[in-house]
Amino acid sequence: MATYVARNGIGENQRRVEDVRFLTGHGKYIDDVNIENQAYAMVLRSPEAHADIKSIDVSEAAALDGVLLIVTGDDWKSTGYDPIPTKSAVRTFIDGSDMKVPPHHALAIDRVRYVGQPVALVVAETQDICRDAMELIEVDYESLPSVTHQSEAIKEGAPQIWDIAPGNVCLDFELGDEEVQKKAFADADHVITLNMVNNRVTATPMEPRGAVADFDPETGKFTLWNSSQNIHANRDTIADVVLKIGKENLHHIAPDVGGGFGGKNGVYPEPILILHAAKELKRAVKWINDRSESFLSDTHGRDQVSKVQIALDNDGTFRGLRTESVGNLGAFCGTVGSFTPTGGSSRTQGGPFKFDGIYYTAIAPFTNTCPLDPYRGAGRPEGSYHIDRIIDYAAAQLGMDPIELRRKNLIPPEALPMKSPMGLDIDCGNFPEVFEETIRISDREGYAKRVEASEAKGMKRGFGVCMYLECTGGGPKEEAKVTFLDNGKVELSVGTASTGMGHETVHAQLLAGHLGLAMEDIVFRQSDTDATEIGGGHGGSRGLEVGGSAVTQTSRQIIEVGKKIAAHRFDVDADKVEFEDGRFHVPGTNHTMTIRDAIDSQNDPDNLPDDLEPGCMNISSVFERGIISIPNGGHACEVEVDPETGTIKVDGYWVVDDFGTIVNEMLASGQVMGGIAQGLGQALMEDIYYDESGQLVTGSLMDYALPRADDMPRMVIAYYEDAPTEKNLLGVKGAGEAGCVGAPPAIVNAVCDALKEYGVHHIDMPLTPEKVWKAIRDAKATG
Amino acid sequence: MYDFGIKNPTSIDDVKAALGDAEDGQFLAGGQTLIPVLKQRLAMPSDLISLSRVDGLSGITAGGDSISIKAMTRHAEVAANADIKSAIPALAKLAGGIGDPHVRNRGTIGGSVANNDPAADYPAAVLGLGATVITNEREIDADNFFTGMFDTALNEGELITEISFPIPEAVGYIKFPNPATRYALVGVMVAKFGNTVRVAVTGAGPCVFRVPEMEQALTASFSPDSIKDGLVPADDLNNDIHASREYRAHLIGVLARRAVAEANG
Repeated sequence: MATYVARNGIGENQRRVEDVRFLTGHGKYIDDVNIENQAYAMVLRSPEAHADIKSIDVSEAAALDGVLLIVTGDDWKSTGYDPIPTKSAVRTFIDGSDMKVPPHHALAIDRVRYVGQPVALVVAETQDICRDAMELIEVDYESLPSVTHQSEAIKEGAPQIWDIAPGNVCLDFELGDEEVQKKAFADADHVITLNMVNNRVTATPMEPRGAVADFDPETGKFTLWNSSQNIHANRDTIADVVLKIGKENLHHIAPDVGGGFGGKNGVYPEPILILHAAKELKRAVKWINDRSESFLSDTHGRDQVSKVQIALDNDGTFRGLRTESVGNLGAFCGTVGSFTPTGGSSRTQGGPFKFDGIYYTAIAPFTNTCPLDPYRGAGRPEGSYHIDRIIDYAAAQLGMDPIELRRKNLIPPEALPMKSPMGLDIDCGNFPEVFEETIRISDREGYAKRVEASEAKGMKRGFGVCMYLECTGGGPKEEAKVTFLDNGKVELSVGTASTGMGHETVHAQLLAGHLGLAMEDIVFRQSDTDATEIGGGHGGSRGLEVGGSAVTQTSRQIIEVGKKIAAHRFDVDADKVEFEDGRFHVPGTNHTMTIRDAIDSQNDPDNLPDDLEPGCMNISSVFERGIISIPNGGHACEVEVDPETGTIKVDGYWVVDDFGTIVNEMLASGQVMGGIAQGLGQALMEDIYYDESGQLVTGSLMDYALPRADDMPRMVIAYYEDAPTEKNLLGVKGAGEAGCVGAPPAIVNAVCDALKEYGVHHIDMPLTPEKVWKAIRDAKATG
Repeated sequence: MYDFGIKNPTSIDDVKAALGDAEDGQFLAGGQTLIPVLKQRLAMPSDLISLSRVDGLSGITAGGDSISIKAMTRHAEVAANADIKSAIPALAKLAGGIGDPHVRNRGTIGGSVANNDPAADYPAAVLGLGATVITNEREIDADNFFTGMFDTALNEGELITEISFPIPEAVGYIKFPNPATRYALVGVMVAKFGNTVRVAVTGAGPCVFRVPEMEQALTASFSPDSIKDGLVPADDLNNDIHASREYRAHLIGVLARRAVAEANG
């Protein structure tokens, strides 16, 4: 583990300043936002996967005492509002034609296309009255054939979901040079093929989605408090595109947000519906999703089926990789939508390994399911799973050692910087060193003894590794604004969005460190369109890379202005002034001025040189990153499998991450642990499951299994810090998603290692006890 | 929730009166099933008759050959009780494995047994140990108590007041938890009383049941090896997204062997 030298706040294990508030019940989450005289809204959701709405009778519900407003699809159509757009970065088919974008209206118009789709909005004096009213709304549905699995959806004769999308295909995609890949395959000694499933999961943030909308008839302005990760972009979409009220008329705020993981990134129907209701009623309207609705209506993640092929030589040299994926989109294009299975899953194909050629293709079909959108990692976990599973599978088929195979094929540091076959600019890193360190810390010496102990209990022990390659950055621009308040406090506003990961700590830590201020004097603001002009929110592990860099840039600009103020006081040139540890001083003199002194001076013109205005230290700056960063790392995992029941216990976990510079190790490790928990959940138990009629079977925590504390192993996490990137001001590479990129393949590899004596070399996620038991039984039966 | 009234009687007589007065009354014990059901609007009782303040409905009494647990005793109390831990350790372990600390501090043995959830733990103990369910009207043998899914021999308005567990010579309980709920996907209790062995299975079927074939085999020889695979046919077992009926049938054998091993210490 590296030794840290705290510099400008970097490397300080500052404890989280928000935790006291969160842990003592003083957080302000969306349900804590209450406006005087607010009404309550609930959404009537479709019970049908695919059906025509023949009629909706709201008369009884509307007559109920306390019901204020009911909005149906027909009402919505008559408002003239636009559908919610998609922002997929890939927008054309391979043949150049446009992707198919069906109209995603906030309420179903004439037809429903997934269970849970909003059919009507009910607004009443209380939530209970909303519930009573919903029971009185009569919707006459005429069922249509439905399809929920992407592989079924693209078959001939499958039910058609959108007229504009023949064969249900929204988009197809390719990346890489197929000719080069084919030549590599032809030249190689072996081609190994594995079909694999990246199971459908949902983010299940502890705090469900919710929003409060208010409208001021005097000014025509709206305010929306929203449990969202992406306040600025979603304001623009909601105000400018959907409702067409002008973004200057929508003040969009996220209070404390209890988890997002991508599931709160997109633009959802419900906040749009209650903005409309607030205007109609001239009253504030609150809507809170309950847990069951969350399963039905929070965008889901992953859900790809892939055929992966690797070509390699007898000596283990990798030659080529080919992946063909089909990624479920659900019934509509989500906000990022079709990008995840196409471009998003393509960029890290092949991981940190040398290949002559890589070729990736994808088809993104519509199905009668809830729309899919980014979930922590959004494409990179899929890419990592492809390469790290096919390596272990190939090793098993060819009698090779999966660790040696990786060792042999990792891109050496001297090959960097390079452009990968997938077009990624890999600027720096040391993959072999990170890999070897992962193996070194994972207590291989004690392994044989642990195997023996497991065998004595009738258990099978296995060890698995993965060496992931990530690409992070999210929205490329970020603003950091610093305002020195009269009461001595320093307001720091950043356009990033913390959903619990600790921005309030780390951004303040950077500002305090740069300027030599006290942490407790910093007041943090985020997720408010009035606080910063722009804001990229949360997504793509961008908080420090872009937001932290913006804080650093603004800090530096403040120091430059401070130098001018000090120079003015000491009557020297500004370039003679230096700044260190919160003090301006002129070397060789006894002239010093504290940052506080400079701040206190900034409002009096007498204290300022001619080119500075009062308030000149209150600075906002926008940082724009270069191309995306490339975190990478090794995960190693030990599991113990009970062959009689199929139960898996993850019994040891070791990680070495190259996130570039580590600013706050505790926060980074928190991200890694949380990511591993979600990766473990996906690998072993989480599964969104629709039955053949399109009903969501795993619609509650009674049926959707989440990992708990006692499912988690002890985790050893170390960092490789010798390759900071120059793509941002901090040298950081993004830590937020890596845990769940590395964990699924590492865990599945370890399980398959444990089961190799039975001849079991692959099981599709989630590796439930029954699946493991069946795999062993079937392998025994076939000998 | 729909609107309902709530009554807080303090004696069994008052309970009966309150129930009689209510249009559609329902007993509320620990509420760990009923409250979620109400929240989801899946039940619409006119009144809840809370049992929390009824005198003499809570507590654990150890006798020479049995332990009696009053109906409103919380799972956490059973799990922590020294007499139960020493005389029927598998029962304490079972109670300590129900739900989570919140559930164990609210949920009651009487509520659980009266509800007879097919995946609940307690029915395995009541049937496996051959307990006696004592109500405000009569005593019911465990073998006659559990009559079907969420169904028992209790009459309308009949209230469990306590459950008496005979102390076995040896006992084991092994539960395979449902990964989502941690209810029993399958749970097996094996108890030995002299020449009699009882085996009760919860979670696997629509209602807790005994396995006579295993009981006979274990009576002949109380060892894990006595239990052969395939003693419980899969046909009538539960089949859902969490486990197929054939997997449940397999688990019954595995868990029964492990329960015997536990009983043998």
